[in-house]
Amino acid sequence: MLRKLQQHFFDGLFGKQNDSPILELINDAGARSSAEQLAVYRDSVLGGLTKALAGIYPVCRRLVGERFFDAMAGRFIVQSPSCSPDLNDYGGELAEFIAGFPPAASLPYLPDVARLEWAWHRAFNSADRLGIDLQALAEIGEARREHILFRLAISATLMASSYPIHRIWEVNQDGYQGDGSVDLDEGGVKLIVWRHALTMHIDPIEEPEWRLLTELAQGRPFGRICERFSRYHPANDIGAVLAGAIQRGWIASFDLPPA
Amino acid sequence: MPRATKSVVHGMGGGPIQGVGIGLRTPHYGVIQHDKPPVPWFEVLIDNYLGKGGSPLTHLEQVCRDYPVTFHGVGMSLGSTDPLNMDYLKRLKQLVERFEPACVSDHLCWISVGGHYAHDLLPLPYVKQVVDHVAERIQRVQDFIGRRILVENVSSYLTYRPSVMEEWEFLCRVVGAADCDILLDINNIYVSARNHGFDPMDYLRAVPVARVREFHLAGYEDQGEYLLDTHGSVVHAPVWALYRKALAHFGPVPTLIEWDNNIPAFGVLQAEAAKAGAIMDEVCCRAA
Repeated sequence: MLRKLQQHFFDGLFGKQNDSPILELINDAGARSSAEQLAVYRDSVLGGLTKALAGIYPVCRRLVGERFFDAMAGRFIVQSPSCSPDLNDYGGELAEFIAGFPPAASLPYLPDVARLEWAWHRAFNSADRLGIDLQALAEIGEARREHILFRLAISATLMASSYPIHRIWEVNQDGYQGDGSVDLDEGGVKLIVWRHALTMHIDPIEEPEWRLLTELAQGRPFGRICERFSRYHPANDIGAVLAGAIQRGWIASFDLPPA
Repeated sequence: MPRATKSVVHGMGGGPIQGVGIGLRTPHYGVIQHDKPPVPWFEVLIDNYLGKGGSPLTHLEQVCRDYPVTFHGVGMSLGSTDPLNMDYLKRLKQLVERFEPACVSDHLCWISVGGHYAHDLLPLPYVKQVVDHVAERIQRVQDFIGRRILVENVSSYLTYRPSVMEEWEFLCRVVGAADCDILLDINNIYVSARNHGFDPMDYLRAVPVARVREFHLAGYEDQGEYLLDTHGSVVHAPVWALYRKALAHFGPVPTLIEWDNNIPAFGVLQAEAAKAGAIMDEVCCRAA
């Protein structure tokens, strides 16, 4: 009985509103119909999830306006229910939804801005990883170096966009003082979004850095990365790129599989 | 009223709570850390701290160093027919073991079905089968986290045709069968009493005094045809009046001021807590 009631209740919240079987199970309350009583819960649930999405995606909301965003969120919520008791896990598919949402098609960069905001949200709540042990790294013999598995900061997301989304993000922050216009012809950008201690970072990265970081994010050993790197960037010194990435904090640890 | 000071609280871990606490909310982190205001305890919305690191946990560590805390969640989904979410309970258990809160509480409701979560407190039908179901889940939660929990009565906006008992009877039967404690939300009793036309005193008189470990107070919004539990304003006069009756009936139960929408400056919450504290002193000293 309870199972069926709860499924009907959810169907009544997210699905057909007027002929839901849950309405038959709700007592009359004076002048208020069972549909009106259920609507109190629908408004509360959708309102709560919309508020959560607005908190994760403030720049997207600013770009499209509150009314547009909230209406879009309402459609998204019905299509993509939350699957975790942790509300911080909710909303990661919004970028994909926006990409397929015709009313948002006039802002082609919006899905990538949403991806950037989700990466920020994940980094904000992610685990911390202690700094890399440089001493231990230096002590690895030359013959073993090709086996090293470097790891990105746990909080890090690598993302590429055809639009200057870091600039779009920046000029839409509260209190931004400079010129608020962004030239979309400025071109694309490659970014690493991550957190160091309590400080959030959105760092643009160059092609050689992107090559190194994406290769190691795929779990390739350093030797294999060197081969591939030299193929794509024969003029660049991978040692210098690696040292820079470690120094910036993007690479936060390493493993050395047993010989 | 007892006032915790930093020196007293250090090392207390899960020490007992007394007096009127305040619900910890993000906009107040700064003032709490900077001013260390004299608040006897804070209630933590523990579902906001399930992440593995970063700013939320850092703030939680700081608050737990300086004050006794209680943990309050919505994620247990005690009334759901889904299996208990063990990932959630494992994370909760880690946080409980790490920070040793004075109480761990969740709600007498359900929030999920078919693996999907509403993140909202949905009402249960009050029937014997559901009493057994919820009580068994509470027992399993208590066994797993190794602690007694408090369950809180929720505000509701509808009742079900299949229900065969009043809400307070349902609550009493569940906590008796599960052997857990009660977090009695005075505002929620008032809101539901108005929405469903019962006498809130019938509710108070039915609840077993020994199990009530905490009260909640918050503000509702009058929607005309019904009251909505928004936690978005000061506590309203009829709820203060009911709080007096609850104190006279249950004694000086630790009380929490909750505020979740349009969160004001911390001083507004302190003023509400001071008001509750004065009522507690007046009612409970007069009774003694």
